[in-house]
Amino acid sequence: MAAVTPDEAETWLIEKIAHRLGVDPSEVSREVYFDELDLDSTEALILAGELENWLGFELSTTTLWYHPTVKDLAAYLAEESTQRAAAA
Amino acid sequence: MRPPRELRPPVVRRFRDAAPGGHTVWFVHPGALAPTVYRALAGALPEGDGLTVLDLGAVPEYAEAALTGGRAATTVAGLAERLLAAMDPQPDPYTLAGWSFGGVLAVAMADALPAERRPARLVLLDSIAPTEEYKQPDDALEPGLLLDWFSMYLGAKRGRPVRLAPGALDGRSVDEGLPVVLDAAVASGALLPDTPLPGLRKLYDTYVDGLLRNNRLTAPHRATPAPLPVVLVKAERSLIPGDDTLGWLPLAPHGLTVHRCPGDHYTMLDHPDAVDTIARLLRGA
Repeated sequence: MAAVTPDEAETWLIEKIAHRLGVDPSEVSREVYFDELDLDSTEALILAGELENWLGFELSTTTLWYHPTVKDLAAYLAEESTQRAAAA
Repeated sequence: MRPPRELRPPVVRRFRDAAPGGHTVWFVHPGALAPTVYRALAGALPEGDGLTVLDLGAVPEYAEAALTGGRAATTVAGLAERLLAAMDPQPDPYTLAGWSFGGVLAVAMADALPAERRPARLVLLDSIAPTEEYKQPDDALEPGLLLDWFSMYLGAKRGRPVRLAPGALDGRSVDEGLPVVLDAAVASGALLPDTPLPGLRKLYDTYVDGLLRNNRLTAPHRATPAPLPVVLVKAERSLIPGDDTLGWLPLAPHGLTVHRCPGDHYTMLDHPDAVDTIARLLRGA
């Protein structure tokens, strides 16, 4: 797919997390650590699979470790997808 | 940017402390389910008994292998040594138990200990023996079988059994079978109605990599016979339902007793009736 912007990635992540948690997107903070959210490991893996499918590339398992909030992860995903789009 | 946090869980998880001089059950847990699943068993033990879990999911070289393709940079002997170090000094008296692949570790640990430090009892829950006859090459695991185990796992993980029609997965590839599992899991309430297939695929691939990791650790392991009698508890819906001993006979020269309990390979750990049976066997009452 084409490169995503940080805002697009952030919106995607917040919408999906909110849906999985059954809360309004406004209740999902961009700054909260992923492990502070009430997502169990099953939901987290399902979300990771959905994210990879949306982006069109696999993510390293350490991605969420090094980018542990919505804001940080969205910035990383934007940068990564831009590099991949440019190399394609 | 917020920095990564150190969230490594501890290997040793105490769910109930024994009374002074009391008996402790040490459980080797190979991951897949959260270690908190042992709370029910801890609660079913006699008053004064303790239960502590040795969580392989907290050993990085083991746990991370399920997320990176299923190849662990360690061995059964290495893991046994790691867990023995974590439980040092061994209390007295104690039972050493292991569920699933944890049973293979429990036997390796008992074997690695000098006689005077060995457990009073060795109890294995639905563990498959690491003998040549029972070792499986990666490609021997048929997609239909793996998907069936995955459904069992998913149901246990979410507390909602995923029921498939008999033969629903027969002859199906992963791509063909996973939508069948998805429909059944949504129907049972184990997954949200709009769970995307790529998301379930990620969960399935991680599950299979965990199985392959255990298979690959078992393949080069040369198991020696257990140094004390072995108590094996088989779930009603075991991973290998048609096999009574799960291959342990040649590795149990001091005796093998086999018991059955309700539940499947995963739910046996917290199924109320199974827990009572297992608690009794852990103490030898």
